[in-house]
Amino acid sequence: MPEATLTRAPAGAAPRRRGSRHGSNAWAHVLLATGGVVMVFPFVWQLLTSLSTNAQVMSVPPVFWPGELQWGNYAEVFSKLPFLQEFWVSVSITVVRTVGQLVLCSMAGYAFARMRFPLRGVLLALVLSILMVPSQVYLIPQYQIVNGLGWLNTVAGIAAPGVFSAFGTFLMMQFFKGVPDSLEEAARLDGANPFQVFWRVMLPLAGPSLGALTIITVLWSWNDLLWPLIVSTRAESMPLAAGIATFAGRTTTDYTVMMAASVLAMAPILLLFIVLQRRVIDGLAHSGLK
Amino acid sequence: MKHLLRSASLAGVAAVALTLSACGGGDDAAEDGAAVAPTDAQAEITYAIWDENQKPAIDQNIKDFNEKYPNIKVTVDLTPYQQYFTKLQTQGESRTLPDVFWMNGPNVQLYAANDLLQPVTGLVESGDVDPSKYPDALNELYSFEGTQYGVPKDFDTVALWYNKALFEQAGVDLPTDDWTWDDFTAAAGTISEKLADQGVYGVVTELNGGGQSSYYDSILQAGGHVISEDGTSSGYDDPASIEGLRLWADLVADGASPSVQQLSDTKPNVWFNSGKAAMFWSGNWSVAEMKDSPNKDDFGIVRLPEGPERRATVIHGLANVVAADGENVEAANAFLAYLGSEEAQRTQAEMGAANPAYTGTQEAFVDSVPSFGIDVFLESADEMSFPYPISKNTAAWNALENELLPQAFSGERPVEDVAKELADAMDEELAKE
Amino acid sequence: MTSVDRSPRAGAGVASPARGSTPRPAGRAGGADRRPRRSHDGWWPVLFVLPTMFGVVLFYLWPIVQTGYFSFTEWGAFGGQTWVGAENYVRLASDPDLGTAVVNTLVYTAIVLLGIPVAMVVASLLNRPGMRFTAFYRVLYFMPYVAMPTAVAMVWRLIFNGDFGVLNWLLGLVGIDGPAWTSTPGFALVAVSVVGLWTSLGFAIIILSAGLRNIPPELYEAAALDGATAWRQFRSVTVPLLTPSVFFVTVITVINGFQLFDLLYALMGQANPAIQQTQSLVYLFYNEAFLRNDKGFAAAIAMVILLIVGAVTLLQFRMQRRWVTYA
Repeated sequence: MPEATLTRAPAGAAPRRRGSRHGSNAWAHVLLATGGVVMVFPFVWQLLTSLSTNAQVMSVPPVFWPGELQWGNYAEVFSKLPFLQEFWVSVSITVVRTVGQLVLCSMAGYAFARMRFPLRGVLLALVLSILMVPSQVYLIPQYQIVNGLGWLNTVAGIAAPGVFSAFGTFLMMQFFKGVPDSLEEAARLDGANPFQVFWRVMLPLAGPSLGALTIITVLWSWNDLLWPLIVSTRAESMPLAAGIATFAGRTTTDYTVMMAASVLAMAPILLLFIVLQRRVIDGLAHSGLK
Repeated sequence: MKHLLRSASLAGVAAVALTLSACGGGDDAAEDGAAVAPTDAQAEITYAIWDENQKPAIDQNIKDFNEKYPNIKVTVDLTPYQQYFTKLQTQGESRTLPDVFWMNGPNVQLYAANDLLQPVTGLVESGDVDPSKYPDALNELYSFEGTQYGVPKDFDTVALWYNKALFEQAGVDLPTDDWTWDDFTAAAGTISEKLADQGVYGVVTELNGGGQSSYYDSILQAGGHVISEDGTSSGYDDPASIEGLRLWADLVADGASPSVQQLSDTKPNVWFNSGKAAMFWSGNWSVAEMKDSPNKDDFGIVRLPEGPERRATVIHGLANVVAADGENVEAANAFLAYLGSEEAQRTQAEMGAANPAYTGTQEAFVDSVPSFGIDVFLESADEMSFPYPISKNTAAWNALENELLPQAFSGERPVEDVAKELADAMDEELAKE
Repeated sequence: MTSVDRSPRAGAGVASPARGSTPRPAGRAGGADRRPRRSHDGWWPVLFVLPTMFGVVLFYLWPIVQTGYFSFTEWGAFGGQTWVGAENYVRLASDPDLGTAVVNTLVYTAIVLLGIPVAMVVASLLNRPGMRFTAFYRVLYFMPYVAMPTAVAMVWRLIFNGDFGVLNWLLGLVGIDGPAWTSTPGFALVAVSVVGLWTSLGFAIIILSAGLRNIPPELYEAAALDGATAWRQFRSVTVPLLTPSVFFVTVITVINGFQLFDLLYALMGQANPAIQQTQSLVYLFYNEAFLRNDKGFAAAIAMVILLIVGAVTLLQFRMQRRWVTYA
């Protein structure tokens, strides 16, 4: 990595000696590992729960190690849910929302950051304001619109409102504001119109932020629960998160299968994150600044 | 601004639809609850439910229904209980309710009063539905202003579950069907004392999330009431009701029951299931969970103890209802009639889904766990049951109950004060209806 | 040809650069105060902004306008709306629950904001040159964010359980008798906030990591050439250039903090003796709208939330001038 030639001290630390990098990183590892354990152990517990029996889950004091691992819970997931269909729905709505947001938010973000036009401040305030009311405010009106369009029970219906994002616009706006003017100036001087500037100069630089937006949007969309639950009336047109929620029975819940389903549902996203974070955050920064 | 206009006109259409349906209209068939579809009818209908555990039985019901009506396709829409009524309200606002759906006591009047439900009078007249086959209290629960809107599906009564092993350990006589409040509180107290070092309590029940398995029953047993017959005034300021509340406040104060916070952190069924409580006031819905418990061989059931005034339990059950504005009312009615039939209800019992409402079909449920003594629930329904208290906006005063009563049970405030405050607030809400 | 227009940009709280003693990294034209500006970009902004605005207006702004209207009506569950003027607002003003909800929401948000410095430390640690296993750590720290909320809530409820939970067991080892965390007022708010903090840490780390990546290494080289120590580099290069990301994370965290609902509902639920004192603003809204079926009153609550959060965010944007540096 290009920065490897420099030592940068983290916040709050005493000035470092140059060199002896690996030695001085040991304490960083200790800190990170301890924090990491705190971050991860509820997930470990979730994993253990998915391999237990319901009796063990419901007992007090709680049972940590199930003894005999109930792999059958994972098989049961597939018999209780149309898992693959719901997986496919989750993928579809997530792709639509993510691609939609990447395109729309980067464009709008760039405009808000770098262009002058009347009412820009007002429009920006309006866009941000939608984040400031309880999200349940939108339930009934959005349902009526989607119903009116005949989009109940469809991927389009579930995905549509999520394609437009104030959060994404804000994220991209902040990024574009941080890009030095010199680049844009140079392109303009070369006679490029705003779209060409955006496409050829700005967008290639936006890798890390687009990556961050992708990860966050994918995650939000994957775990989105209430809206898909309301718009779909058939198990086959629900995404995974909604399908898993249906495990909650009225008085008894099959926690073990529910946890198993959650683990299965989480796995693809985790994989996606692992792949994305390497390629985007680690790799693409700093290209094109020279 | 096209999109704005479109939304406005959508809202306008919704508003107009609201007014139209509110008028009732001159369609006699619709008012009585239209006829049942012929057996060769073709339709697609949705059936909304909220309990995943009952889905296998429902699927079987649909299969059996299709034998008589091969061309009516029924799609099940399963939504977890927590989101069920939010979704139903959203659908109700846009008049896109499912064709047939589950309804419970607290919510039925709200939907019936807003003309969202199809009356079953027509079905009763044509003989497709026979109300005499279901407990009267349930038919009453689902009637509004003289018209019945739902066909009862199942019912729950509350009884006293107990753990033999714990009783024996503490040297206390096992509960009987003749127990009174005094027997009950004495046993609870003794057991908590003797088994305190094991962290075992004498009795547990739900004190935070509604009174069905606790104070509704004890209030009735003391001769009080939760809401007046006509649904216009609260019964919480009745001295008898206060006595009913005091039963639990005393149990918590004595340490015979875990505290209100403890019961909220760890649900009562978990305490009992794990053998940490000797007694448990609960309904037959607990059978499904308790039959898989490691302590199941120690469990038994008797009737709730007799209070100062009488023996009592509330009875509640779900009903199937049909949406008034559906596109396939006749097909929906056909399905509804089937669900209320003896065959469908017996299937529920056989597959362990629920305790069916149809008289005489419950044997399979009773036999599912012989050692428990499940017939107690049926006896209680026949001999000592009272309808679950409801009104048009039950949710509003249920919220008040959950807000105020824990303060009485925990001993934070005197029971009379809390009860009086609750009665006043509840009267205010009832006046708004 | 671009005109060199030195007037500050119009619009709400847009950055003028940070004033104060932060030394400019060497190699920059002194003072990125004024930038050359075109006076107007013609029709291009329309192309860029219209798609988003279309969707935002249709799906979000119109419902807000409707809600504003409803806040002046009385609206039962399915009935129509009857105009009652400001009655809902008057009722709200004297409702003690509103004050409680505001305080709870602020406390929650404040605790979750504490995660930002922590995230900065973690992101910086991960960014250290020669740091190995960064991918692994990042995954670890991100997992709370990935896990399904239902699962998360269930596990944390078990941890916080008053009688049998891990936390109280640990406290018991040092002789402290822990409370029923999620069922006791006061403690419940702390418990919920801790879970909120735990969940959102991953998000902050991602954003700040991306921000760190955007800092060109040439700046560090230049600073080093000028004789700056590593700590000085951090103070003068990293911190100022990270401020746009920190600003973003702060604004979003505050906005999300005010949206607290799902966590409360999952960890505590309606049937909880402490919920009355622990409810957040959005919980208040949900309670009135869907549980008590008083939608007009709920709409008034939603409007008040909008006002409060809008005011706080506006404040943050204005204060941006003081501490955020845009390159």
